[in-house]
Amino acid sequence: MSAKLEQLSQNLQKHLGERIVGLQTALGEISIDVDAAVYQDVMLSLRDEPELRFEQLIDLCGVDYSAYADAHWQGKRFAVVLHLASIAHNWRLRVRCFAPDDDFPVAPSVVSVWNSANWFEREAFDLFGIVFQGHTDLRRLLTDYGFIGHPFRKDFPVSGYVEMRYDPEQKRIVYQPVSIEPREITPRVIREENYGNVENNG
Amino acid sequence: MGIEGILQEGFVTTTADKLINYMRTGSMWPVTFGLACCAIEMIHTGCSRYDLDRFGIIFRPSPRQADVMIVAGTLTNKMAAAMRKVYDQMAEPRWVVSMGSCANGGGYYHYSYSVVRGCDRIVPVDIYVPGCPPTSEALLYGLLQLQNKIRRTSTIAR
Repeated sequence: MSAKLEQLSQNLQKHLGERIVGLQTALGEISIDVDAAVYQDVMLSLRDEPELRFEQLIDLCGVDYSAYADAHWQGKRFAVVLHLASIAHNWRLRVRCFAPDDDFPVAPSVVSVWNSANWFEREAFDLFGIVFQGHTDLRRLLTDYGFIGHPFRKDFPVSGYVEMRYDPEQKRIVYQPVSIEPREITPRVIREENYGNVENNG
Repeated sequence: MGIEGILQEGFVTTTADKLINYMRTGSMWPVTFGLACCAIEMIHTGCSRYDLDRFGIIFRPSPRQADVMIVAGTLTNKMAAAMRKVYDQMAEPRWVVSMGSCANGGGYYHYSYSVVRGCDRIVPVDIYVPGCPPTSEALLYGLLQLQNKIRRTSTIAR
């Protein structure tokens, strides 16, 4: 681990302390886990603490762990993952927060901390069905108006449930049940040891 | 229409159908409906190297001024209603060129939950241009084929 990462890791321990549930260092990157209860507090600290100063939210996305590790995953199903960057210190951080309830995943919104989270959270809501508490405009972002379901969940069929065509009698576009057999191609995965001279254990 | 010999007489004769088709094929104004990477290739066809202008094909920003719609790219469910609306706004006679695998039959996204499996499910298509994306030459060839198709139609003579 480089001196820079060491410094970041120490600063994180110093300012967040008990609020970090897990901290992993891999491939030259630091990832931390936080609880949903303290998630918003942690985010404010990460942004405002002079020794951390993550001014910028690079990305926010949802993750569905239900098929992770050949469905042997034991923990919670849905997580929100953020990528943060500090321009002042030139370092980056990954933060993960699991939603406590698997059937109705709710996570706090960070729009009040970083404005750029707005559409990212709408996207995560659209695709994973994670509800962001405190979001002022939680509408679907990508899928069709009136779309049912959350397509990035692992139990959502790739071909969906409905397909679209023009009905010449009604003179409008209509949805009908999907008429094709689902087909999924599983790609052959070839993993070389130390590919690109990157050590797997960081 | 070979008119060189007759021009000295000061008049030309033709059939109404030939004249109508001459006008139609000489000014196929397409409405731009670029949806994805095919649109880039469509832009290339319109630019100076292939130069659609020399065929009288000039892109129009409004469907009300257009005769042809080039569906260039992946048609998603969310876009389908908008595309049908654009098509309905075009004045007759109107033609549709489906450009690329996605517009032809869903292509790469055929099994997707959010993509229309071919734009012919939404609008009637006259010419299908294959490719992913089709080259500029391919689109140009498709448009020339559409000209041939228009020439075959007879409006007056049955």
